[in-house]
Order: sequence, then structure tokens, then C-alpha cells
Amino acid sequence: MKVSGGVSSFFCLVLGLALLGGVWASTTAGASAREQSTPGTLKIAAEQEPSCMDWIGSCAGASWGIWAAGIETLPQALTVTPAGDYIPSSVLAGEPILEIGPPQKITYNINAAAVWSDNTPITSTDFEYTWKQIVTGKDIYDKTGYEDIASIDTTDPKVAVVTFSEPFSGWRDLFGGFSFILPSHLLEGKNRAKIMKDGYSFSGGPWKLEGGKSGWKKTKSITLVPNQNYWGDKPLIGTVIFQFITESASEIQAVKSGQVSSAYPQPQIGALDQLSENPELKYEVSFGSVFEAFWLNAKAFPMDSLAVRKSLIYATDRQAIVDEIVKPSVNEGRVLQSFIVPTFPQYYEPAFSIYGTSANLSKVNELMTADGWKKGSDGIWAKGGRKAEFDVQTTAGNEARELTEQLWQSQLTQAGFKVTIKNPSADVLFGINGPKGRFAAALYAQVGTPDPSLCGIFCSANIPTKKNGFVGNNWTRLTSAAIDAPWTAVDSELDRTARTVSVKEGQNALAAEAVSIPLYQKPNIFVWNTAQIGGPLQDNPTLGPFFNLNLWYLK
Amino acid sequence: MTRYIGRRILAAIPVLLLASLLVFVLVRQFGADPARTRCQQSRDLKCLERTRVQLGLDRPLPVQYVDFMGDFVQGDWGTSERTDQSVAESIGIALGETAQLAFWGVAFSSVVAISVGVYSANKAYSPGDYFFTGLAFAGIAMPTFWFGLICINYLTFHLKELLNTNEVIFFSIPNATGHGAINGFRELALPVLVLSVQLVAGWSRYQRSSMLDELDSDYIRTARSKGLTRRRVVWKHGLRNSLGALVTVIAIDAGALFGGLIVTERVFSRPGMGTLFLNALGNGDSAVLIPWMIVTGVFIIIFNLFADILYGVLDPRVRVA
Repeated sequence: MKVSGGVSSFFCLVLGLALLGGVWASTTAGASAREQSTPGTLKIAAEQEPSCMDWIGSCAGASWGIWAAGIETLPQALTVTPAGDYIPSSVLAGEPILEIGPPQKITYNINAAAVWSDNTPITSTDFEYTWKQIVTGKDIYDKTGYEDIASIDTTDPKVAVVTFSEPFSGWRDLFGGFSFILPSHLLEGKNRAKIMKDGYSFSGGPWKLEGGKSGWKKTKSITLVPNQNYWGDKPLIGTVIFQFITESASEIQAVKSGQVSSAYPQPQIGALDQLSENPELKYEVSFGSVFEAFWLNAKAFPMDSLAVRKSLIYATDRQAIVDEIVKPSVNEGRVLQSFIVPTFPQYYEPAFSIYGTSANLSKVNELMTADGWKKGSDGIWAKGGRKAEFDVQTTAGNEARELTEQLWQSQLTQAGFKVTIKNPSADVLFGINGPKGRFAAALYAQVGTPDPSLCGIFCSANIPTKKNGFVGNNWTRLTSAAIDAPWTAVDSELDRTARTVSVKEGQNALAAEAVSIPLYQKPNIFVWNTAQIGGPLQDNPTLGPFFNLNLWYLK
Repeated sequence: MTRYIGRRILAAIPVLLLASLLVFVLVRQFGADPARTRCQQSRDLKCLERTRVQLGLDRPLPVQYVDFMGDFVQGDWGTSERTDQSVAESIGIALGETAQLAFWGVAFSSVVAISVGVYSANKAYSPGDYFFTGLAFAGIAMPTFWFGLICINYLTFHLKELLNTNEVIFFSIPNATGHGAINGFRELALPVLVLSVQLVAGWSRYQRSSMLDELDSDYIRTARSKGLTRRRVVWKHGLRNSLGALVTVIAIDAGALFGGLIVTERVFSRPGMGTLFLNALGNGDSAVLIPWMIVTGVFIIIFNLFADILYGVLDPRVRVA
């Protein structure tokens, strides 16, 4: 069969381009592959990419960055166990020594074997450098506690003595938790943020970024290889690749089909059923330190009334919200009865159980009537000519939250409240409306840590106002001596037993003042392929499931 | 031919300038405020004011546009408001990813669509034609996101189970450790398949319709009456003359693909232009959005030009018109 010249030219052009494309596709794929050692490679799905790797900078707020690269490559003084206990990391030779003072002092004895990846010892100067960077640096994520440090004695390179100007009971989170110790010998006098933001070649942990900055292939993956000079348990896997898979459904399919060996996805409806189809997969659903709540602005009508706030809690069927939102995703879930999660049982006080978990409309009627409210012909409470109506906001586009709002709207309508849903984008809610108090009720999550301090979000000193330049995270704007007293004590009390008592008192005060409405702990799903990996696999609600990646092995 | 191409390129410049002006004004006027985006986490009340001056947002819009275009043509595309990464570098990386997918999608789809279109026209109203027509309608109607996930489920996990193997045949995510042409094929097969379903569905209908017109033409009847075989008439005369319309559609669609693979890239976790756009839009990152839209516009214009040239190759009358 003969084909005309023009047509054959067209097909030849397509074929020629196809061949060129074939070479192109294979060479680009090959180039990236040659940089990694193929044997002993573990692939893990990461559903978020960090904005930067300058972990103390404001750009490093994403948890996934810390989980996938921070804790693997940089040392911490204290680390957090899956049970939520602070324990000395391999950097320390033992428990830090606390002197209550005044002044409060912490002595960190540094492990003699602890060295950076270039074999330079980790010293007290590194503690001092890190502290100074956090206190004096620009665009720092969180300075809490570091600003209370008066000095760090570096006389002995292997002993760092930290002296505080003010008592700070949350000291265990310093040089640990979500922050790290930085190498002063490599960064002193240089632009730390610039050196670290796109990745770095040094390490003080079991892993290091492969090839330094090139270990982070933007939009694609983070590749880790063992730090040969790590003094603790050396990694058992040659290469670990955290591959960014931002679409949750695709992430589940990738782990289900064995293209990645592990994942830590956010829950979505039907995810567990999908995972169950592959018998090689094992998953663990845990309820971590992140919790969802309806936050009430006590400066906004009608939230300025304690009776209304209490009535709103009684009118909210929190069990129904958990049943509709949480359980379809992970088959379990429970109503949260405080603003501290039960993951930390030593502090958790189920103070909000006084309100029950289901709606109690007779209690609503009793409270509202006693406060002078009357129901109008439209069934809405009114007082002094004003109806009990208000707006609720959440981050637009979040389906689970929008559904929660709709459920709440329906529940409150039955109780005699008129609720209008007005959802801004996340940056408007968290950047403008929250700090400036432009909301009556808002639905969002708060991230907790094993340290029980809640003064930052509930003490009256932390209410953002125009006068203080909108500094402070108490967006509930409730001024209450009953809340301030125990939570201020929690921040300055160094005795653990006395502090625990204050924490529990504080939670009861929050419930008594009906400051906001806790809903549920957000569940985490940690899934791994048992045919591909082994080791002590366990989720850590604070540090993520990859905190002990150096102990994992390939099968 | 050279003069023809030169004329078309010159004509594209004002189109591009107008497009860039529209994009710039619309994003600046109605999009997220770049200064607010940068100062979102800052508690410094003067941050907004300072950043506006720093970014030149306090100047009149026409001045801002001229400055922006001046920097743009010199390759200074600025940095992302959210990630602080070079916009040129981000777009360059994303463009490479999308180009691979778009290239294979267009190459595969055009061959299949032409073959199906010619067959359907040649066997019009036969069971085979009805079958392909039905498939085409299904392909057009099928949501890409849903079809992508179905393909992933069946062609990764279930195919692996069916073949009783430990390794997946096709990858649904970029293969970070694979190399070589075979791995390249395994990585691109699924996204290309998903992309091609809608392309083939649409293009094959164009080709069928265009081919039917040609087969009804007098010159085809004359050729047949002169004793030429049907196969020769169809492939030698009909196909070439029918390709003009489809080539134009393919070229325009191919240009649009450089910005339009949002769903396919999302489902297959490919960090291309679609993913970049979605992230920039979600974050209100106008520093990325404006150059992204201009680059996408450039590609549409380039491919339109390519269509004109190809059209001229297929139909010499166009060259002299």
C-alpha cells in the first residue's frame, strides 16, 4: 500500500518525535535514578512538601518537613516517645539536671561520642548558637521559652548549663520537640537561613540528605542516606526516599499496590477499606495531638453570654459529629472532652463531660430562659430585641469541616439558634479574622504537644488587641480570672505534681466558662507493607511514625 | 514559506502582549494581594506597607506592568511569594514534566484517533463504527479524575494480583528509582492512557466527520471511476485532504495541554504545570500565576503557529494565500 507524501511525512514526523521523546523520557528518568543506590531503597509516601528546611525559621511550620527530614538529620536534647514522655536523646549522656532555683538552671551533659557528620564533636557551643539564633534571628517560627533564657554556660564543651531569667516549666520542649540543635562550627557568622532553607549537607542524626541540597528534589522527593559518623544505632537501609504524593486517593493506591512501602495519610472515607484489600498491608489508627473544635469569640454577640456559650455546648450533638465525620474514615472515634488530648493521660481531664456528648435541649431551654431569652414565633431565641444569630467560619474547601458546619447548623436550629455559614480561605481565617476577632464561631484544629501549657490560647494576657499589635493566640478573647490563675501557674510551676494539679484545675475552669467546644481528636493512619519492611514500626503522635527510621529494615 | 512563518511570528507578538496585559491586570486587581501573602505570618503592622513599597505595588498599575514585562523578557521572573523559590526555575521544572506527558499523549492519541476516524468513516454506520462512536462518547463523558483512579486501581494493584507478581507492571507515581526506556514506559503508560482517552474520543470524531466529507467528494468518485482501489483512494487521496482540520485541532489542544493537565497530573502525582498552577492558585501566589499564564499563552500561540505551518504543508494553497 502506498501512502501519499504529505501523510507519510506527518506519520514520519510523529514517529520521529516519538523516538526522540523515548530517548528523552528514558534519559531523564535514568539521570535521577543513577544518583540513588538502587539496592536497599525504601520508598515512603509524603503527602506534603516542606516549604523550607531551615527548621527554626517561620517557613518551616509544616509537620511533614520535620517528620521526613528534620528528626532524621539533626540532633535534639530531649526526644518524645510514642507515649508522650520526654526522654534524653542519644545526644545526651543522661537526664538533664533541673535546678529549680531561682534562677532556674538546666544542665545538659552531652554524650562524649556525639559528633556531627564531619566528625566535629557536638558541644555546648552548639546549644548556645541555636539559642542565640532563635532569640535574635529574623522570621523565627517560635521563640517561646528561648526568650526566658538568660545565658548558656559553655565553659565545658560537653556540658551546657542553661540559666533562665524567668521560670519556664515547658523547658523540655527547648532544643527538642519540634526544634533542633544546630552546628555552630558550620553556621556561625554565616546566613543560617540561606544555608539551610533548601537542604544542607551536615547531619547530627542517623541520616543525612543525599548529596546535601540535591537530596531534596523540589516537588518530587527527599532522599536520605545513612550518616556514617552517627554514634547511635546506624540505619539498616541504604536509601530512604520520601516521595511527595499530595493527592490522598493516589497515595492510598500507591501504598496499596506496593509502589511505596509506607504512608501516613490523613483519614478519608473508604481509605481503610482500600488498604484492607491488600493483606500485606498493616495499618495503625492512632489519635494524636491534633484536635478539632468550635472556637467561640466571647467578644462577639451572643457569645458574650456564659449562658449562651453553655447552651451551645448542650445544643451540640458532638457524638453525631464524630459518627458522621470521623467514624466513616477510620471506623472509630470519640468525643474529645477537653482541650488536652487523652494521648497524654497524665494531664487529660475530661472536664467537658459535664455537658454530655449528645444534645440536651431541655438544658438549653433552662439556661436560656434563666438568662432572659425568649423564643420568637420563628423558634429563634431573642433578648432585648436581638436574636441569637451568628456566623460560623472555617477554611473554605475542606469538605469534612463544611459538613461539620452543616451538621452544627442543623443541630443549633433545632435548639433555637440561627447560624449562617460564611467560610473564608484559610489565610483569611488564620491571618485576619482570627487575630482580629472578626468571627463569632470558627471551626479549626489546634496542635497540642506533650507539654500541657494552654496559657497561650486561653490566658487573657494573650488576647490579641489593636493596642498590643494583635500579638497573642487567645482568639476566644475571654477574660477570666478563673482561667488565668491555673494556666499561669502551669507555665511557671516547676514541680511536676503541683503542675499536674494546676493543669487539671485549668481544664475544669475552661469547661465551667464554656470557653469553646472541643469536638474530637484527629486520627492518624500509619500504614506499612509487612512484606517489604520490618522493625519497631509505631506511630509517634508528636514526632510522626518515622522517628525511629534508623531501626527499620527491608525484607 | 519563511516569509509566511515570519509574518505569523510578528502577528503573534501583539497577541502575546495583549494577553500578558490582561493576565497582569486581572490577577493584580482581582487576585490575592502579594504583599498580604508575604506578610500573612508577620505580626509587624508595618510589614504590609513596607512590602508594598518593596514590591513596587504602591505605583500605578501601568508602571508595574511595564516593569514586570521588562524583567520578564530579561529572564527575571522573580520569586514565589510562598516558597521563595525562583519562579523561572519552578516553571522550567514543571514544564519539563508536562512536556513529557503532553508529547506522549499527543503522539499516541493522534495516531489512534486518525486510525479510528478513518476506519469509522470508511465503514460508516457499520457495527464497528457504532462501537467506536459509543466508545468516543463514553470517553468524552468520562471524568478524568474518576477514570484515573479506576485505571490505577485495576492496572497497578489488581493486575499485579492477576499476574501473581511482586512488582507492579505500571507505575501510578513517578518512579524515583527506576531507569531506562522500559521504566520510562511503565511510568508514563497510565497517565498517557488517561490523557489519551478524552483526546482520542474528541479527535476521532473530527477525523471521522472530515473523512466522510472527503469520501463524498467528486474527486473521490472520479478516482474510483478511473479504477483506483477503495483502499488507495482512502489512504492516498482522502486521508491527506481530511487531515487539515484535525491537525489544527491537535495543535491547538497540544498547546492548551501545557496548562491544562491539572487533573491528570494531580492523580498521578506529577509535578508539572497543572500542579504548579493549582498550588499557586490555592496559595494566592500571583508571583507564580502571572508568569505561568504568560508561558501557557506562549505555548498556545506557538502551537497555533505550528498548526498553520503544518496546514500549509498539507495544503499548499494555504502557503500562498
